[in-house]
Amino acid sequence: MQIDIKHVAKLARLRIEDDQLEKFEEQMQDILGMVENLPEISGSEFGVDPSCPMQLRKDEITPSLRRDEVLKNAPEVKAGCVVVPKTVEQ
Amino acid sequence: MEYTTVIGLEVHAELNTATKIYCGCKNAFGSEVNSNCCPICTGLPGTLPTLNEKVVDYAIKMGHALNCTIHNVCKQDRKNYFYPDLPKGYQISQFDIPLCENGFVEVMLDDEGTTKKIGVTRIHIEEDAGKLIHDDSFSGSLVDLNRCGVPLIEIVSEPDMRSSAEAKAYLDTIKAILGTIGISDCKMQEGSIRCDINVSVMPKGSDTFGTRCEMKNVNTFSGAVRAIEYEAKRQIEILEAGGEIHQETRRWDDMKGESFLLRSKEDAQDYRYFPEPDLLTIMVDPAHVEELKASLPELPNAKLKRYMKDFGLPRFDANLLVENPEKAELFEAAAALKSCQPKNISNWLNGDVSRLLNEKNINLSDTKLTAQNLARMIQLIESGEISNAAGKTVIEEILFTDKSADEVVKEKGLAQISDTSALEAIVKSVLEANGKAVEDYKKGKTNVVGFLVGQCMRASKGQGNPGIFKDLIVKAIETI
Amino acid sequence: MELYTKSAAELSRMLRDKSCSATEIAQSVFSRIDAVEDKVKAYITLTRDSAMDQAKAVDELLAKGESLSPLAGIPVAVKDNICTKDILTTCASKMLYNFVPPYNATVMEKLLAAHTVMPGKLNMDEFAMGSSCENSRFFKTHNPHNLNYVPGGSSGGSSAAVASGMATLALGSDTGGSIREPAAYCGIVGLKPTYGSVSRYGLVAFASSLDQIGPMGRTVEDVAMLYNVLCGHDKMDATSAYREYPDFTANLGEGVKGLTIGVPAEYYGEGVDEEVKTAVHAAIKELEAAGATVKEISLPSTQYALSAYYIIASAEASSNLARFDGVKYGYRAENYNGLIDMYERTRSEGFGDEVKRRIMLGTFVLSSGYYDAYYKRAKLLQMRIAQEFAEAFQSCDLLITPTAPSTAFKIGENVDDPLKMYAADICTINVNIAGLPGLNIPCGKGANGLPIGMQLIGPKFSEATLLKTGACYEKIVGGFGPIPEIRA
Repeated sequence: MQIDIKHVAKLARLRIEDDQLEKFEEQMQDILGMVENLPEISGSEFGVDPSCPMQLRKDEITPSLRRDEVLKNAPEVKAGCVVVPKTVEQ
Repeated sequence: MEYTTVIGLEVHAELNTATKIYCGCKNAFGSEVNSNCCPICTGLPGTLPTLNEKVVDYAIKMGHALNCTIHNVCKQDRKNYFYPDLPKGYQISQFDIPLCENGFVEVMLDDEGTTKKIGVTRIHIEEDAGKLIHDDSFSGSLVDLNRCGVPLIEIVSEPDMRSSAEAKAYLDTIKAILGTIGISDCKMQEGSIRCDINVSVMPKGSDTFGTRCEMKNVNTFSGAVRAIEYEAKRQIEILEAGGEIHQETRRWDDMKGESFLLRSKEDAQDYRYFPEPDLLTIMVDPAHVEELKASLPELPNAKLKRYMKDFGLPRFDANLLVENPEKAELFEAAAALKSCQPKNISNWLNGDVSRLLNEKNINLSDTKLTAQNLARMIQLIESGEISNAAGKTVIEEILFTDKSADEVVKEKGLAQISDTSALEAIVKSVLEANGKAVEDYKKGKTNVVGFLVGQCMRASKGQGNPGIFKDLIVKAIETI
Repeated sequence: MELYTKSAAELSRMLRDKSCSATEIAQSVFSRIDAVEDKVKAYITLTRDSAMDQAKAVDELLAKGESLSPLAGIPVAVKDNICTKDILTTCASKMLYNFVPPYNATVMEKLLAAHTVMPGKLNMDEFAMGSSCENSRFFKTHNPHNLNYVPGGSSGGSSAAVASGMATLALGSDTGGSIREPAAYCGIVGLKPTYGSVSRYGLVAFASSLDQIGPMGRTVEDVAMLYNVLCGHDKMDATSAYREYPDFTANLGEGVKGLTIGVPAEYYGEGVDEEVKTAVHAAIKELEAAGATVKEISLPSTQYALSAYYIIASAEASSNLARFDGVKYGYRAENYNGLIDMYERTRSEGFGDEVKRRIMLGTFVLSSGYYDAYYKRAKLLQMRIAQEFAEAFQSCDLLITPTAPSTAFKIGENVDDPLKMYAADICTINVNIAGLPGLNIPCGKGANGLPIGMQLIGPKFSEATLLKTGACYEKIVGGFGPIPEIRA
């Protein structure tokens, strides 16, 4: 299994230093290696389980947090908002 | 070569539930920044979502309105990507099993009532993201998380539209349905409906679609028309120059009237969808699914057809009413009184009433206008008791005060002058003051009569009847 | 005898017959903390002042004659991945070094409502990823039985605090064995409850479909008492089960007569130390002598569980940990150039290697083109494993296996070899994969003097059966021994 480790790191928004890349890749290979011997299993659907349905929430308003509580853990705050580096349209 | 444009649309509509989709925070627009937030919608570590039952109901209603198959057993999935307006680093959405699938909607394309069926691929529920505020006064961006968790439905169409006009008709129809079934406020200016547009072009007569490009950030329907036309032209120019279209995502800038490359196919985001483990299977009782279907009001297309047939309205006029459920309701109530012409009710609602609402940026429900008052005012005009011009004064009063039409007419002395001698005196003084126009008329420039009628109307403060004035003016000039 | 050495059940009785006060209990526990915490290092945050206030409040209420929960006044320490309002909650990560939640986890609300006393927040492997507590970004916790050894993980602070008398009870969390394995290594009782029986609201998620909060204590009765408080439906957690729960202390004395214990051969294979197998088999023999029927069974898919576990847990973790991006809370890199760089530096500096490794793995198995081969396959395998257990429980009331393949290992011994570290989980992960309850019961010691644990596994919501079996064994062996003397 070839892993494009730099691509994965980019997706995960992680910066893996060059000297660490190889170690990471090796360790990931090892773990994925265990997976290689998984049996093929037929069956398609997972994710829905009608035997275990979810109870939904009533559309009733509950109190929000005070704004100072919302912002108290933010690294940088201005004008009642969290500050981030300038964004460009995604 | 001639080309056909192929268009598919993804419409995102915010639902007007009381609370957000996964927490009990108020779902409201225009609150102070970061004031409708809790640990859940701000994605604090340890918090979990709980799904609002209204969101499911609303989406199913829309599914019924768009003739979809309802998957009453379905699930939610995580769409993973990083952006500062997405506090959890993923959006809870639906991937392979949407709540509604395989529907269609008929849209009316012309005044003859020609319709076209546009396929609806799917409707799914998801959460909205927050808002980024860009301020040039400093180097960063500000994050307002109020909109995080506002419930959205995404309505994905088949690539069935072949012109910007068809796309516009589709969007108008979707908006009218959302409003009619009462699940969205449809306030474009508040961003409660937004769309992404897929456009490709192919040689006329071909049945093989070209490579498509997606345009994001389209916030108005008129913007959608411009974006489609721009994109089709861009693609045709590339093909005509011997180039080829690359699949890409573009960003529409409506101010500039241009689109810009956001990312190419190679940079396409890998959202790593997987089933949301914090939520279990959504299972809606089939009986409830049917109840929701039965609860739907008359849908806009049916209403449109009825307005055209029963009230003799042109499609354009009827459509303006149908698009706005409040207007449609008032129209029907006024027409039901049978005291005036439905066409005149429609004209007033789509004309002066809409203009006044737009000027003040309010809705009909924010005014005091009643069907009785509106119909009475129109009746007064139709019977010649007040002029059309006087009606413009009356409508402002009955929109914003508790007075009746009759009271306004009386208070403001707007009753039409029917005493011919009084009108003749006005005509006489206007003709004396406008000798040049009288000369011109005599030389054969008979169209100055309109100008003279206007002067008479002004002199009578709108209380004269313009038809009578015209007759009197012509008679007076010819006897001079 | 010092109050810190006593069980919750004993202390509860003493409080009621006024032979001690909650304040004295808290004082005793804090004096124990003052004496040994330097060596054991179980706590990230000590909340001495609020704990003493809580104890005082209990004394006042009891003096007024109010009838309080059996756990009122009992010191219950909390793993640092469970959100505590206005109290630092770090997940032992640099990423959350300064995070103070504005809300309480549901289990915290329950502990407060039961008037328990919280001495502090406990060390753990960073974001609960690890089996030794060595992945804490702050410091390593030591095994009270021998300070050169790990206390197990990820709830290593919890197991060490309880085993050393620095807390009477503790909350842990268990995603792949993180309550049971440290309980085994430290010689205490730890219950990983049925998935859905304890609310996860406020537990900083590692792998949402596997995580479960559970009680840890020095006796089975204590664990049952704490579980009584923790379990129950919570409307804040959509995955929490709708059901009524019995009083889990009620049938602890019933014994094991009529129970069929399954012994799955796959859990006694090559990877498991002989001394562990011997100890567990001996314990099973005791239970057989006490009236249980013992039956050899087979769970052939066990061999695949580790792979399935690492795929599912890592995939969910990669998504759950995406929120740590330096925007809204916690660590943000000091120097960066633009948004993407801020994200990458914050996450690379904020997370330790093991966390990064699992995020990478999880991101990879979910990425385009690999989802079917890895994630989907693992999920299907999960269903098969659950099915196998369900079949086993047609003929068995519970299964007994080793909890860990060996006794605790030395600090530093496995840090560079993730696979070897992961092997510590081979006996426990299946239970999470299948959503079942699992209970660690101490059953002797290894040659190095460190505890051995056996794992009792039952069908969903069979905690009562597991606890009464554990209690029966505890009675047979005359308890799980005194709090060890703290030494290297």
